[in-house]
Amino acid sequence: MLKRIVKLIPSGFAYAHCDIPCGIYDPHAAQVAAFTVIRMTQLLEDLKREGETKAEHDVARITHVKEEHSNILEDELETLRNDYFKEEHFKEFPNLSELFVNTLKFSAKARQGIDMEAAQGALSGVQEIAEIFFKTKGVEPVRVKSVYPTGGEIVLYK
Amino acid sequence: MLLLRKFKILGHSMEPLINNGNEVVVSFIPYFFKKPKTGDIVAFKKKQEIFIKRVVKEKNGEYFVEGDNKKDSLDSRSFGSVKINDIIGKVIYIVK
Repeated sequence: MLKRIVKLIPSGFAYAHCDIPCGIYDPHAAQVAAFTVIRMTQLLEDLKREGETKAEHDVARITHVKEEHSNILEDELETLRNDYFKEEHFKEFPNLSELFVNTLKFSAKARQGIDMEAAQGALSGVQEIAEIFFKTKGVEPVRVKSVYPTGGEIVLYK
Repeated sequence: MLLLRKFKILGHSMEPLINNGNEVVVSFIPYFFKKPKTGDIVAFKKKQEIFIKRVVKEKNGEYFVEGDNKKDSLDSRSFGSVKINDIIGKVIYIVK
């Protein structure tokens, strides 16, 4: 009954925003975070155990940074999904919603272990999201070689 | 002034009570009889947008409001207090 009444009430939007809605969105931070997760995964894979205490210390530091940047990646993705992309974008790009879900899953998996496949999966998802983002902005996305030690490509626009 | 209005929430600053995408019903009726008080969740106008935050302090008819999710909220800590004239009502129901 109450829900029926609520349905009749005139509706609008209100912000419980982390930010004054300024319209400044960019998938760059998500890409950098995804590259950082890859790099930290590489460092964990390559870690040499020359001294027990030093190795433990290094593992702790690298894992901390990997955790931190997985969080940044997920936050950035949530901001794009919830604040930037609108219903019409999801209609225009029907795979966008699934892309977010899968990328977030890859990010969580990359955080949980030393999993290069998941870390690469997260980056790949972010790149596709970045390309869609730039298309919605009316500019042409382009993949360029990254200058990071991880190699790989970063999505910018022409 | 509409007695009842409904807003879809965009953003995370009122989590965990109000999540992004939830709807809330806002009414000015409670404030016909008494002023907003600490703890009330209010809707107010700021820069031509409507925001939802919680009143944490009242001083000289101005209301200091904050998001429940303090780590992720831009509120009176940044933009200062909200005047009574800018408050459009109290959140009286959260549709979940």
